[in-house]
Amino acid sequence: MIFAGIDIGSLTAKAVLLRHGKVIASHFEPVKATSLASADHVMGRVLAQAGLRIEEISLTCSTGYGRLEIPFADCNRSEVSCHGLGTFFSNKSVRTIIDIGGQDCKVVVIDSHGMVEDFVMNDKCAAGTGRSLEILARTLGVELADLGRFALRSRRPLPVSNKCSIFMELDVMQLLYQGKRRENIAHGITVSIARRIASLTGKVTLQKGICISGGVSKNAAVVRDIEQAIGVTFTPLAHDPQLMGALGAACFAEKEYRRRMEGGKS
Amino acid sequence: MTIFNEIRQLAQSTSNDYLTRARHRGHPTVGYFCSYVPEEMIHAAGAVPYRMRAVGSEGTSLGDTYFSSANCSFVRRVLDKGLRGDFDFLDGIVFMNGCDHNRRLFDNWSYAHPDTGFNYMLFVPHGRSEACLAQYGNELAKLGRFLEERFDTELTAEKLWNSVALYNRKRALLQEIADSRRSAVVPISGTEFLSLMLAVSVVPVEDAIALLEQALAEIRAGRIHTEQAVLRLFVTGSCLEELSHLELLESAGGVVVADAICLGARYFERPVQVGRDPLAALGERYLRNLSCPRMMDDVAGRIAHVRERVSDFGADAVILEKLEFCSMMSGESYISSHELRKFDIPSITLTRELYGGGVGQLKTRIQAFYEKVINRS
Repeated sequence: MIFAGIDIGSLTAKAVLLRHGKVIASHFEPVKATSLASADHVMGRVLAQAGLRIEEISLTCSTGYGRLEIPFADCNRSEVSCHGLGTFFSNKSVRTIIDIGGQDCKVVVIDSHGMVEDFVMNDKCAAGTGRSLEILARTLGVELADLGRFALRSRRPLPVSNKCSIFMELDVMQLLYQGKRRENIAHGITVSIARRIASLTGKVTLQKGICISGGVSKNAAVVRDIEQAIGVTFTPLAHDPQLMGALGAACFAEKEYRRRMEGGKS
Repeated sequence: MTIFNEIRQLAQSTSNDYLTRARHRGHPTVGYFCSYVPEEMIHAAGAVPYRMRAVGSEGTSLGDTYFSSANCSFVRRVLDKGLRGDFDFLDGIVFMNGCDHNRRLFDNWSYAHPDTGFNYMLFVPHGRSEACLAQYGNELAKLGRFLEERFDTELTAEKLWNSVALYNRKRALLQEIADSRRSAVVPISGTEFLSLMLAVSVVPVEDAIALLEQALAEIRAGRIHTEQAVLRLFVTGSCLEELSHLELLESAGGVVVADAICLGARYFERPVQVGRDPLAALGERYLRNLSCPRMMDDVAGRIAHVRERVSDFGADAVILEKLEFCSMMSGESYISSHELRKFDIPSITLTRELYGGGVGQLKTRIQAFYEKVINRS
């Protein structure tokens, strides 16, 4: 039996296929104009990878901001629950997840079955999210992928506001006008984001076994600075941390399938 | 067409035919803010009390010329509507110092002076003590004198008791409808109940009673909102008038079965006790009814009320609603969530702008919260 998880976020679309408790295909790519177009395309890619047809999928679960707009999904779960179960699938010792996605950050505490016990999300402000990093990298004149590399070269982070993406951008522009080194500005950005995430973690009781997921987890400088800010070393994951939402959705697809087989209502 | 269709239309309109007909019969319309303004006094003066709201608001651009963006979206939207002429059918407004934003609304309204008749400020103490009650009594007497002069009438005890009887009847009907949601099969959704509240707070009380009797007859005839096992929710907080927001809560897999909001239990719980002095009876009821966070000395009472109702109505979780920049609810939601946790009652604070956006994130937060609550069971 094959189960699919599909995560349509604000910046990237992700899909994972599970068979017998193993990931057999996964893919992520930038989102397209509509959630449906993103879902169709990313699903097509994982099916092609696995050499399968959509009819061979036993059940599909969707998550992410586009989760309600995917007609071929049989059920949906919030990305909070999916990141919880996905990271738990990837490493059973995980109990707290810091997820930094395109437009939100969340801290999720899970139990010994991977189910959500508590969570906190950033409010409407985008500061500290993937989208703000994208804007700040552009302002700094570097590729998003290079922002972390730049920051890692610095030992002297420059002060950058962590209150609001707009103020952060103004600070970056001012530092550039002052002729400051871009490495140190980049470092200031990652430290600022780390402090913001650290303040979010203060709103829940963190449990040992803390990991980081989401697209921003691939920025080595942000990861380092968050570890320093909250005084932990992140628990490693066995799968790509950007895929945790889709992986969790695939796990929920399997759970839902078994529930339906046992006669539970959908 | 059921009575709930008409109620929904009334709930989504700023004015209505009931008010027009009352005006033709010689009853002016007087707007009022907050749950501490005794409608009975306005009614006894021959006017129709109209609960101010931002329903149908198109934005805040005019309101923002008087308020800063750090003021709550309720006052910005209501003033905006006033400046656009939406409330020109009013003959006056009784403001109240519900919070600093509302207090400032009176200043800005008086200064901008839209064509809405008189502006009167009722000062209500922020506590429930005997001294506060005495002061509130003085303020009600002052309001009474103002209304007598304004409408060239006398607020006799007979007139006041007659109004009290009508409003108590209205409260009793609302209470019975609200109580129908105790059962496992919920006859009316939270969205429908809010529609009802919005509708009956902008029509003459006599018409409101007729509407409520029809709604109750439909419920008694076996109306069913949902038989499905969904999460039963208790909603509390500050200003909440958006049907779309409750629809969002309920479409994610919940049903609101009870509340402690201004357009809800705070309005209809506890009748006015008939006695010797109508103003004293009104003062006692309005100042010491189920309080809102502006009353600084009753935090424990409000939390006890939530716990009691959660238990009575079999609610699975509590939604703490807060408007951005609502200083009253900021402290209250923090305290409430901590206190409720002690009693193992799950809660979530939802911060929003009145008729604001951010629906995607709210949906995620609500769904994740429901999933968390379901995981516990």
